[in-house]
Amino acid sequence: MPDKVKSVAEVVRSIPDGSHIALGGFAIARNAIVFAHEVIRQQKKTLTLSQGVMGMETDLLVGAGLVSKIIVGGGSLDRFGPVRCINRARDNGAIVHIDSSSLSLAFGYLAGALGISFIPIKSLLASEMMERLETAAPDYLRRGKCPFTGEDFVFLRGITPDVSVVHVPIADSNGNCWIHGPRWENEEQAKAGKRLIVVTEELVPTEYIQREPERTVIPGHRVEAVIHQPFGAHPTSVFGCYDYDAEHLKLYAECHKTPERMNQYLQDYVFGPRDHWEYLEKVGGLRRMNEIKAEAIFGY
Amino acid sequence: MASISAELQEQAASGITASEIMVTAAAHEVRDGETAVVGIGLPQVACVLARQTHAPRLSMLLEIGVADMSPVDIAVGLADSRIFYRATCWSGFLDTLGMNLHRGVVDVGFIGGLEVDRFGNVNTTLTKDADGKEHYFNGSAGGNDVASLANRVVVIVRHGKRKLPDAVAYLTSPGFVNGRSRRDLGLRGGGPHRVITDMAVLGFDNPSRTASLVSMHPGITVEQLLDNTGFPLEIPNPVPMTPLPSKEELRLLREEIDPGKMYLR
Repeated sequence: MPDKVKSVAEVVRSIPDGSHIALGGFAIARNAIVFAHEVIRQQKKTLTLSQGVMGMETDLLVGAGLVSKIIVGGGSLDRFGPVRCINRARDNGAIVHIDSSSLSLAFGYLAGALGISFIPIKSLLASEMMERLETAAPDYLRRGKCPFTGEDFVFLRGITPDVSVVHVPIADSNGNCWIHGPRWENEEQAKAGKRLIVVTEELVPTEYIQREPERTVIPGHRVEAVIHQPFGAHPTSVFGCYDYDAEHLKLYAECHKTPERMNQYLQDYVFGPRDHWEYLEKVGGLRRMNEIKAEAIFGY
Repeated sequence: MASISAELQEQAASGITASEIMVTAAAHEVRDGETAVVGIGLPQVACVLARQTHAPRLSMLLEIGVADMSPVDIAVGLADSRIFYRATCWSGFLDTLGMNLHRGVVDVGFIGGLEVDRFGNVNTTLTKDADGKEHYFNGSAGGNDVASLANRVVVIVRHGKRKLPDAVAYLTSPGFVNGRSRRDLGLRGGGPHRVITDMAVLGFDNPSRTASLVSMHPGITVEQLLDNTGFPLEIPNPVPMTPLPSKEELRLLREEIDPGKMYLR
């Protein structure tokens, strides 16, 4: 089987400016932080990002000024606060934002993954998102009727990101991925992508996957590259591997309140470290990682 | 709301708080054997209380892809692994919000928000300054899906004039928009059923499809209620009172469900 393991730097170099990247995190869970950091280091510009529920990875990229459009259902850092860089960018008109709902994103990706150009949904009707998007983004959604019953629907355009990036706990070198715990829209999102990149906490032999192949959520034949990075989602959590780092999230939630402090954060934690290993040293190293490591029964 | 909580505590000999009345009222909105989509915080506490009292066969779904969890630690949010513990199913949006909620088998959906207006429309997207400048917040996530599709929608918010305005600043999740019927709006779900606050329970069982008083919590006065509501509220005479939590409900809330008072402040 092919060995698709690549460095994050190599993978990010292959992504052109202006790409549409689907990100697989949900609030403070399984964010591809190692990927987001490298995109910032390489200053990939005018990106479109899509995601069901945005979290820190998207906030970092928007805060770094690299994003011109988001297609999202919602987002926050849970109790650590709102996604302030994104909210600021929306307030100031600095980005185009297509705001819908979690299920709308999942349906859009599902259509993309199935190779169909649109999908009907019963959400969004009579909402202000619908009202605004009908005029601002007719390429994203339109009103329509069922050809059989005449019932009103919203027709969502299928979403086919240029690149989907999903952070998983376990993968083999061919890209067969297991996800422990809930997986929000990861499967549809992964399979909707024209290219698919996975970041894995643990790299296992294929024989390990072959013992329980029913656990494979993303099959390797769809995967272009595997980035192997333990604690690659820090400070967000990976169920079964480690908890979110509440201390660092609190620090981030302070820093992203103003553009000045956000820039300082990026200098300190993204541009400063050469790679993710240096970043992990900066945020507390082995001692801190051991503190947030998951307990065997609870998975957090 | 601190003053109201304080007043309540003064009046109720057992020291029952507004949050405890609120969460018990929410628990009473679910029936045994039903399926509910819940969020973290008071809705989850309410459903756990219901499950441990009158609704042991209540099914709980979290949009992220979790069914019937039995967490032992308090979670900071929907993406906190603490809430995944001892679930009976892990899936994703397509299952919870799609093949359950969109399919039409979710009886009750709980949502919160920045604002809820007299038609039960909910705003979780933004606030507006006096000059109209918008300040974005979290957005819909699964909120619009739940409001559009659940058979009964229960909105849980703190009471206040700005939280309950005549019209929401942004309509994220539709109730009875402009008093129109759900069918007329093209929506499948039954729409808002209750708004539960720390002062009262509101309902929509009237031809104008506007919020009306179902019951007022003990310790609150009609004057306080009207002063803190941004739209006209019809008050029945005599004023129905929200039932206080029973001794057993209080014991469960205080000793088993939220002993650290993470949500029941």
